[in-house]
Formats: sequence, C-alpha cells, structure tokens
Amino acid sequence: MRASDSSLATLWQRTSFGGVLLLVLLIANIFLNPPRFVFTNWGTLIGLAAPLIGAAIASTPAILAGRGGLDLSVGPLMGFVNAIVIKVLFLDNGIASPFVIVPVALITGLVVGCINGFLAAVLRIQPIVATLGTFLVLTGVTLTILPAPLGPAPDWLKSLAGPLSIVPLAAIFLIWAAVKRLPIFGQLMAVGSDDRAAFTAGVPVTQVRFFAYAFGGMLSGIAGLMLTSLIGSADPNIGPTFTLTAIAAVALGGVSLAGGRGSITGATTGALVIFLLQSVLTTFNVSTHLLQLANGAILVTAVVLTALQDRLQRGGAR
Amino acid sequence: MTLNRHLFAAAQARVVGALLVALALHAAGTLLIPGYSSPFALRAMLVIASILAVASVGQTLVIILGGIDLSIPFVIGFANVVAAKLFGDGWNFGVVCAVVAIAALLIGGFNGYISRAVGIHPLIVTLGTGMTVQGAVLLWTAGFPSGSAPQAVSDFVSIGGSIGPIPVPLVVPSVAVMTVVIVLVLALTPYGRRLYAMGSNPQAAALALIKPVQMWVITYALSALFAAMAGVLLLGFTGSAYGEVGQPYLFQTIAAVVIGGTVLVGGIGGYLGTIAGVLVLSEINTVLIGLGLSASSIQAVLGVVIVALVSFYGRERHVREMI
Repeated sequence: MRASDSSLATLWQRTSFGGVLLLVLLIANIFLNPPRFVFTNWGTLIGLAAPLIGAAIASTPAILAGRGGLDLSVGPLMGFVNAIVIKVLFLDNGIASPFVIVPVALITGLVVGCINGFLAAVLRIQPIVATLGTFLVLTGVTLTILPAPLGPAPDWLKSLAGPLSIVPLAAIFLIWAAVKRLPIFGQLMAVGSDDRAAFTAGVPVTQVRFFAYAFGGMLSGIAGLMLTSLIGSADPNIGPTFTLTAIAAVALGGVSLAGGRGSITGATTGALVIFLLQSVLTTFNVSTHLLQLANGAILVTAVVLTALQDRLQRGGAR
Repeated sequence: MTLNRHLFAAAQARVVGALLVALALHAAGTLLIPGYSSPFALRAMLVIASILAVASVGQTLVIILGGIDLSIPFVIGFANVVAAKLFGDGWNFGVVCAVVAIAALLIGGFNGYISRAVGIHPLIVTLGTGMTVQGAVLLWTAGFPSGSAPQAVSDFVSIGGSIGPIPVPLVVPSVAVMTVVIVLVLALTPYGRRLYAMGSNPQAAALALIKPVQMWVITYALSALFAAMAGVLLLGFTGSAYGEVGQPYLFQTIAAVVIGGTVLVGGIGGYLGTIAGVLVLSEINTVLIGLGLSASSIQAVLGVVIVALVSFYGRERHVREMI
C-alpha cells in the first residue's frame, strides 16, 4: 500500500497542473463533440493545433535562456515565412517543390533568429525591446510584400494540415531531441538558471544565448510552414496574433519565464490546453466575445493554480 | 555611492540624449516636409503626444518597480467603451469617471497582487487579465460600442482648442503639470523612494520594511488608473467609442519608456525620460507620415529606430561585469 501511495504522490508531483487540465479537456472534448474528435479526424485536428504548438515550442529556447529572455518576434516571423513561401516563391516564381520551400522557410527563420540573437545576446539590448523591434519590422515588411491575403498554397503543403499533419510536428520534436543531446543544451539550461555561475564555470554565455534565439528562429520557420499549410494561403494578419498566445501557452506549460526551467513537453501541453479549451467553448456555440473572456480568465486561473501547486510541492519537499 | 552617482548620471544622459534625438527629428522634419512646424501640425502632435504620455505613466512606474504591464491597451479600451456607454445612457459624467476609475484600480490591484503574492510573471498575469477585460467589454456591448463623449472632454483634447490666447487645448498644459507632479512624487515622497528600492533590489527592500505586495498592488492600480484616463481622453479625441482603440499603446508605451532610458530590470529611470521617449515616438511618426510612407513601412522603420536608439544607450552589462 505504502509503495502505491508514494508512487501516486510522485505521479502527482511529476504531472503538472497543465497535464491534468489537458487530460480533462481532452475527455470533455471527446465527450461533447464526438464527430470532431473521432480518431479518423485526428489528422485534421492536429493540423489545427499545430501552428500554436509550433509557436509555443519556438518561443521556448529564448525563455529558457533567462535574464528576461523572450522572443516576441515568433508570431510575425511565422507570418513572414508564410508570405515568402506563398507570395514570393509559389505565386511570383512558380516554385512549388518542397525541396526549395522547406529549406527557404528554415533559413529565413534561422536568419531572423540570428538577428534576434545578435541584438539580444551580442549587443545586449533587453530581449523584449530587441524582439519588439524585429516584431515591428517583420510585421511591416510582411504587409509590404503582401498587402492582402492571397492564395492558394501547393497541394503537398496543404496535405500537411490534413492526414500528414503529424509530419512537421514530428520533425520539430526530432530536431529538439537531437539538440537536447548536444552539450549546448545543458549550457542553455545552466545559463538560464544562473548566468553568473555558468559564466564563472566557463560557459560561453553570449554564444549560448545567441544559439537560443537562432534555434527559436529556425523553429519559427517550421511553425510558419505549419501555419501556411493550415490556412492554405498567405495572410499577413494572422502571424502576429500568435506571439502572445504562444507565450501564454509556454507559461501554462510550466516553462519558467525566469529561465532555466521548462521543456518541450510543457510548451506542447500548454499549447494543447489552449487549443482544446477553445474547442470546448466552440462546441457550446458561445460568442467569440465570451470565448475571449473565458480564455483570459482560464489562463490566469490555470497559471495561478500551477504556481500554487509548485509552491505546495516545494513546501512538501522541505 | 559612486556607483549610484554613476548610474544617476547615465540615466540623466539618456534623458538628454532622447530629447536631443527628438529635437533633431523635429529639425529634419521641418527641413524636409513643408508645413511640418505649422501651428496646426504642432498642436496635433502635442495632443497625440499628451495622450501617449498619460498612457505611459503606468508603464514607467511598473517598469521602475521591476515589472511590466501588458493590460494597458485593454484597460484603455475598457475605459473608452464603458465611459461612452454609461454617459450615453444618461449618467452624470462625474459618476461615470468614478465608476471607471474604481474598476480600473481593481483591475490593476488584482494584477499587482497576483504577480507579487503568488509569484507569477506579470507578463502573463497582465496579459490574462487584459484578455479577460477585453472579452467582458465585448460581451457587454456585443461588439458594437455605443454612446458618446461629453463636450467637455472633447474640448479638453480638441486639436483646434485653445486656452484664451494660448493656442493649445487644455490637455497639453495639464500633462505638463502632471509631469512635474510625477517627477516630484518619484523624487521626494516615500512612495517614490520605495518604488526605486523595490526595483533595484526586492530582497533588500523587503528587509528595509517595504511591503512588496502593497507596493505592487498600489503601482499596478495606478498604472490601470492612468490607462483608464488615457481611454477617456481618447474618447474625447475620436468622439466615439472603440474597443480596440488601446491596441497601439501596448508597444508604444513600452517603447516610450525604454527610449527614455528606463531599464526593464527595474530601479533605474524616471518619467522625464518617458516624456522624452514620447516626444521621439511622436516626431518619428509624424516625420514618416509626412514623408508619405505607408502604415506598414512606418511600423518597420519604427522597429529599426527603437532598436538603434536603445543599442546606443540602453545596453545591458556583460555577465562578467555582474559577478
């Protein structure tokens, strides 16, 4: 009995509040809206959730880097990639090959990420200001290349939001798993928890932070592709809306905004919670206004409960 | 002590620097754009800058405290819509203002309390309450805000307004007086001292018997109050209510504070800097519009300018200097 007690306790401690919420919401969704959540429809469902998951994961490295690390440019960068891929490559130049589109998206993301890294890590401009700068520039440039929504998208790209929607997500998870094996990931966590101690221990703090932004930028490139496959067109106005929701998702998933603590599972959980929450509210056929109110209220409640659970656990550990 | 003096001197230099940039921009605008310094253009710029200055008070205080307030645009929209609706329903405008102010103080106090007492990053808390407030407003008005502004408020911020022989509406001198009051409050009152103490070292401040939660609640409540004020002023300025009217102020308030040399880690800076930042932003905006740039290009240029300005004087120290 005792053993099962303690394993239950560890299970409770390991599962974040977000995890519990995710489970509850998933069951509620399946119960309330069976046709939408039937197993054969999961490809489409995952495709619907994918851009937010991608955005949340792309926001994570900069936040992990600590000392106010934050990447506000994730959303606009997704929009920028969307505009480049559809408007510049596909519509203007007739390039539809995935072997061009995917590398271009990744490189675009990486380049913008490197600019963020240069501003925030090398020039040491406060990250929120530096990435606010890139946020504004990217939004402006995207609207200049693409003043109004345009379509369509290549068919292979659209299929990535349907039956094949797991592919880009799996790619992100694989890349993350690979990076996690590199020494630089451990250094990133060290810099995030205590950059002074890490610096004293010989960790190249500036390079590690630069890497965090560059990596996040590349992931934003993938998230931009996910967005493109979902909307099947180019839209200059959707991208920027992802930034704040992604940060909310990351916080909900237990990634500490102070840096050094958090995981890709956390970011994914947070994004899924927000997605499923919106889905539940949609089944009740409530107005979009109530949807927004509930979104905000539940976000605050969930984050408060997560923090309280965290505090209880630490109290218990002592 | 020398370190303190050094930081103080650096902060003063940033304010002067930002003011010089604003002056240079104004000179450039006058040279490049016909009519840039005409009385009407100047008045318009001053009124728009005044409203931004009011909206940025809270962001300045909160950032000195070591936090950030993303709920400002939503509170602006809330005050804008609620004031118009209640006044349109025939309420006395004094009562309307009192109701809006109390609601704003409660929203802000909640932000401060949750951020500090529960220990959640204010970015998330203020974003969440902001979304909730906006949702509530939309729900209440069903997305179609109604009502109007009282004539007195419209006159107060009217670009064509004047005070006797002085050709500016009352809002401009009022903001000047407000600036003096805020600067004095920050420099001379216990509240001001505690604000800087909390911002530079929360642990030490708590040991000096400053109550952290109380400071956060008061400061965030003030932030929401000033945001609500900006919302009511905007109602007078545009004449009708619009829930999204606050949206540009999310990044503009942060940009104004940062351009003015207030540092996001807290404890350094002041409202005079923010005023300088507000002037810089207003000048850039007006110059770019005057040069005939599209709204999207203006946004892009603004991003470059913010980063460039801050890279001159707003850089953080290297880790090696923090050990």
